[in-house]
Amino acid sequence: MFILNPHSGVPIYRQILDQARRLVASGQLAPGAELPSVRELALKHAVNPMTISKAYSLLEAEGLLERNRGRPMTVASQARGASPLTKRLQQIQPLVEQTVLAAKQLEVSETELVKSVRKNWENGND
Amino acid sequence: MIESAVQATHLSKSFGAKQVIDDLSFQVAPGDVIGVLGKNGAGKTTLLELMLGFTPPSGGGVQIFGHPSVALPGDVKVRVGFVPQQDELLEQLSVADQLRVIASFYPQWDSGLIQRLCNEWGVDPRARIRNMSVGERQKLSILLAFGHKPDLLVLDEPVASLDPIARRQFLEQLVDASAGGDRAIIFSSHIVSDIERLANRIWILKGGRLDWQGDLDSLKESIVRLHVRGDAGAIASVAVPGALSLRREGNFATVMVRDWTPERQRELEARASLSIDVEALGLEEIFLELHR
Amino acid sequence: MKTVLRLVYTYFMGTAVTRGLTLSGVALCLLALLAVTYLPQTAHVLAFAFSSQLAFFLGSASMPLMFGRMAKGRGVGLLPHGRLKLLASAFLTVVIVALPAGLLAPVVYAAGNSFKLSDALKYPGAVDFLLGMAILIYTSLTLLAGWLYLAMWFLGSQRNASGLWRSLVIVVLLIFVPVREIQELSGKIEWNLVQLALTWMVFGAAFMAWPRIKAAMAQRGGWNRSTRKVVATRDTWGREVALILGTHNPWLLVGSLALPLLMATRVGLQTPEIWLFFLTIFSVVTGAFAGQAAARSRALWLRRGWSRAELFAEVERSFWRHNGIVSGLLLAFMVAIGSFTHLPGELLAGGLPLLVLGTALSTYLGFMITRGLRWIEIALASGVMLTLMAVSLLLSQELVKLGLVFAIEAVLLALVFVLRTVARRRWSRIDWIECRPPRTLVARQA
Repeated sequence: MFILNPHSGVPIYRQILDQARRLVASGQLAPGAELPSVRELALKHAVNPMTISKAYSLLEAEGLLERNRGRPMTVASQARGASPLTKRLQQIQPLVEQTVLAAKQLEVSETELVKSVRKNWENGND
Repeated sequence: MIESAVQATHLSKSFGAKQVIDDLSFQVAPGDVIGVLGKNGAGKTTLLELMLGFTPPSGGGVQIFGHPSVALPGDVKVRVGFVPQQDELLEQLSVADQLRVIASFYPQWDSGLIQRLCNEWGVDPRARIRNMSVGERQKLSILLAFGHKPDLLVLDEPVASLDPIARRQFLEQLVDASAGGDRAIIFSSHIVSDIERLANRIWILKGGRLDWQGDLDSLKESIVRLHVRGDAGAIASVAVPGALSLRREGNFATVMVRDWTPERQRELEARASLSIDVEALGLEEIFLELHR
Repeated sequence: MKTVLRLVYTYFMGTAVTRGLTLSGVALCLLALLAVTYLPQTAHVLAFAFSSQLAFFLGSASMPLMFGRMAKGRGVGLLPHGRLKLLASAFLTVVIVALPAGLLAPVVYAAGNSFKLSDALKYPGAVDFLLGMAILIYTSLTLLAGWLYLAMWFLGSQRNASGLWRSLVIVVLLIFVPVREIQELSGKIEWNLVQLALTWMVFGAAFMAWPRIKAAMAQRGGWNRSTRKVVATRDTWGREVALILGTHNPWLLVGSLALPLLMATRVGLQTPEIWLFFLTIFSVVTGAFAGQAAARSRALWLRRGWSRAELFAEVERSFWRHNGIVSGLLLAFMVAIGSFTHLPGELLAGGLPLLVLGTALSTYLGFMITRGLRWIEIALASGVMLTLMAVSLLLSQELVKLGLVFAIEAVLLALVFVLRTVARRRWSRIDWIECRPPRTLVARQA
């Protein structure tokens, strides 16, 4: 479910947050879907369980996940629908940042970049 | 009130004129997994042995579950597991006998767990310790510390001689051990990637002092590499307070900063006509930069 | 050649301790030569000669340990003729170390028979005789030194009881014959030279061929396949603490000492040298054994809820249980032999307590080693050993001054309690980081 890189500069909990939000927003994690338990995920990726727990708690606070007694965490039922545009924009924010950075480094102008994005958008719709 | 597993106040240790540990204060709560990093000679082993009472402090004190380290009662000692840097195995015994000897000291020894781990880790109970390789000995030393399910587990370079497969197995076992959230684990290692996976708090020992003492996540968010771009004049005069290092090259500058926050970025960008890209670093990079 | 010389120099003068001992050995030798000119009494010259040789020998004591470490290391195989040079350095050490005895033998003889050396040198027959005696003593001691080094090498490289047993057997089996011959001057120079040549050829050949032998054995898997079954429960009597401290099996030590006892009965227990060697060996072994206590007890700190003071009490108890059995058996044996061979009662009366005192003193001296071996421990140990030897010399005289012996023994008993108090105080503050680990001297990693 998650692709975690413990050695990146991005803390593990942050990686989980970003990926979870993206998965829910894109519908790959439907409301009611069960997430792996903290222990399971920690063992699978060989990372500290507390960091998983921290991510889950933050997602719960956001309203993305809900805790069920005795059962693993599930995606909150109103997670998808209630996600406003701003939240969904937030998901792709890191990608946008990366693209802008790359463009700047390669000295691609803003206009050129927008043109490229538009072309990609139109191609995707075919 | 949650009793802290380890609590140190102004802990110091010197050997003759040499000050190895200088005024450390810290607290370890159950559920913490603390990775101790430091150069060779920084005092990691001394610190761990100080904590457990193998050596008396020269100044200040350290308590384990509320008791001073040099006077730990029996019921506290059974809650502690220690893997020393130099193993304490008895050469003439077999693995099974060595396990039996140590098990006899602990009423809560879990032989089922040990048997399972022996199988998983490939430790032959009939092997004679005298004939075992360094890696096998290290695995045995680790097992000896796990068997009694201690509430405080202290490991000094436990995986220095293990191959990556064995290391991963060990990590998984530690993850399992810490999953309950009521065990405290402190381990020192040169293998930064292991610490990066497992620790939630990092101690960086430098010159006998704790250069960093806090969450791993905060560490990664706080020590960053800035790639600064601007016109030559702005670059020449750029100054970042609290920078660890600064390199300039024409229109570019690379700055290592600690205690970085987004506010500082906005501030810096506003002050001079600079554009700043922030690069987050892995733990090994951070460690290297702090020691440059 | 230069390497060999440098090695030998390091053996004798490498550390402060060995340098001191070597130089004092040389100094004492010169003093002995002076003494014979101005003080014709036997006792002084003999004492100087004996302590000179002893000091000189102790000064070279680092040789077997260094030899062993270098022989095991990989570096020596890579250096040109590395093993050969190492072997040569060992042989040269053995050749040099017996020189004081060889030089002083005629001197002591002259003093003992109350004539002046300068007078004797006028007679050519006397010169031949004295020279012959000197060479005899010298070659005998060379042989002896060689075996002692070998024993020390084994002792130093083994950390368990079976190694101890092996080395003690070797020591015992081979030192008594030359000792007897020295004492009775009944040896022959040719025989000594033959022995020297044989032993060194065998040792040399084995040493040079060892890497090849080891490789061959590893291929067959013979070395690693251990067919001896270890039944720890039977060995330990269920006492895990003793196992960790190394005191779980006194029978090995008993066995290895029973053998010299048997040999001693052949030579005769009246001879002081036998007692001397017994005391020395047993005391040194007990002391060295107890010297590990502090380092080995580290493994018990977290396993048992004992405070440092309680730990000392338990360790003491464990070691006494071990040494007590050995001592007790030794004493019983000596009494039996003594009555069987009709030894003078005074000898036993004075000698048996001496054995016990020797054990007690060296055990507590061993316990005092909580920060590695330092000057004060070495000085105390040497002083104690010399006193014990002096008492044993006293005991073997024609007219045993039992009163004096008992007086000295009372002082030694008091010393036991003093040392115990010191050891106890040190243990109450023991710092295991400053205690060297028992196995190898590893550079401290922080």
